[in-house]
Amino acid sequence: MTTLIDEVAALLAAAAGEETVATWRRDRKGVLTGWCRLSSADSLEAIGRAIASIQGRLSMVTAYLTEKAREKGGREIAYHFDLDGATLTLTVPLPLEGAQVPSLTPIFRNCDWHERELMELYEIQVVGHPDPRRLFLADSVPDAPFERLIPYSTFTNGAAGKALWEKVLAAKEKP
Amino acid sequence: MTSVIELGPHQLALEEPMYFRVKLEGDRVAGLDVQPGQVHRGMEHLVMRRNLYQNITLLERLCSLCSNSHPSTFCSAIEEVAGVAIPERAEYLRAVADEIKRIASHLFCCAVQANLIGQTALFRRAMEVREIMQRSKEAIYGNRMDLAANCIGGVRYDLTPDAAMYLARQMEAMKAPLDELYLQFQNNPAIMARTAGVGVLPRLEAIECAVVGPVARACGIDYDVRKKSPYGAYDRLEFSTSLQQAGDVRARNLVRLAEARQSVSLIEQCLAGLVPGPLCADLLPEIPAGEAVAKSEAPRGELVYYLRTDGTDFPLRLKWRVPSYMNWDALKVMLHGEPVANIPLIVNSIDPCIACTDR
Repeated sequence: MTTLIDEVAALLAAAAGEETVATWRRDRKGVLTGWCRLSSADSLEAIGRAIASIQGRLSMVTAYLTEKAREKGGREIAYHFDLDGATLTLTVPLPLEGAQVPSLTPIFRNCDWHERELMELYEIQVVGHPDPRRLFLADSVPDAPFERLIPYSTFTNGAAGKALWEKVLAAKEKP
Repeated sequence: MTSVIELGPHQLALEEPMYFRVKLEGDRVAGLDVQPGQVHRGMEHLVMRRNLYQNITLLERLCSLCSNSHPSTFCSAIEEVAGVAIPERAEYLRAVADEIKRIASHLFCCAVQANLIGQTALFRRAMEVREIMQRSKEAIYGNRMDLAANCIGGVRYDLTPDAAMYLARQMEAMKAPLDELYLQFQNNPAIMARTAGVGVLPRLEAIECAVVGPVARACGIDYDVRKKSPYGAYDRLEFSTSLQQAGDVRARNLVRLAEARQSVSLIEQCLAGLVPGPLCADLLPEIPAGEAVAKSEAPRGELVYYLRTDGTDFPLRLKWRVPSYMNWDALKVMLHGEPVANIPLIVNSIDPCIACTDR
């Protein structure tokens, strides 16, 4: 497995410069996880292509906005790749306002839903996504619900709740 | 003539809501748009408003058929952050719970497909065999679906010598019926006529779509998380990855039935290896700030959890990707050129989990 670590180190250095280094952990069962922080989203596409060249598979994309990061004016996305059983996580720092990342869907077909989902939950623009429609949420739900307080009834369209209250009010009005 | 139809759960024999916009050329499928979100419950938001212990309970209720995979993989992620090794006995008991759920899940999927192709007797038989597993779950865990088997640092159930003997007898009772079902799905001409060469996903397209689980293994992709990234007791258990090459509906079911048979053997190995010892750590561990990725082979394939903590009881971010999330896209390939009548069968052949997909 050391060959994998060397191979990834060479790919990261070629795609994003010598300062881009992954640290690796091996768990009790010998499973490797690699962790790498990028300085910006600029090298993301190049790294994506490099990982695809060694048959890496996009496994998951995690966008998040923690309170601490919000206070500092930043946010992050973690891209998780499977390398034949090992997992490499690339963390990309992004600004709080006007966050943009290039779409990886042209490189990894299965990135499609991951990017559509993060676009509707967070205020992040994915540039070059072939089909940037809403995935799970109805168009009536405001943008980026994970970044602001939205009443549950609005989130769920309030249809069930409204129907219930109409029944309750109608029953009350009866003599 | 081109037309567009919309199909919902009632037309597709799905017990959960999912909608499809299907483009047809005559009576053949020419395009597909999957429209999820009908059971989106904002669960990734809810988990950040509950502490790590409460989340074990919440995650078990994410979905029913793979309900044990979620809490066990989530607990593995916490244990990785906390640097906790779970006791050996607990590793075996976690594997027992996972494999029991796998057999029941695979049989349910095969049964539903038998029903869809009009094989009512086979449907009844598969559900009858599955009932052995349902009763085992009820006897051991007190519940037929959610097992509540996991806690941070181990498990919260034990197998007494009597219970272990009971489970061993139940496993013995599964062997002949599972072999018989495999032969039925493999050789029965009436079943082959409806499943062989239907809904084919070629290997290269399977790799491109990055499908996982039995859907991938039915296309000859040798990937099983239990082998590739061993966890719990799986590094000590003997089993081989079930593989098929044809990539059709039949191949997917043969992979599932072979795996169910192998799960019986895995449970037997766990019972044989069940060493005496504690079930979990004495004290709840401190969960420091950190991040971890945990993976497992759920019945439908690779399940991934990412956990980030800040030293408090609440997760900073908890994200998971279920196997079905990866497999929907492959339906575009599987359904292309198929007659409308085959749509329900092919959709069910990926064993889709919708509550899992939407979260």
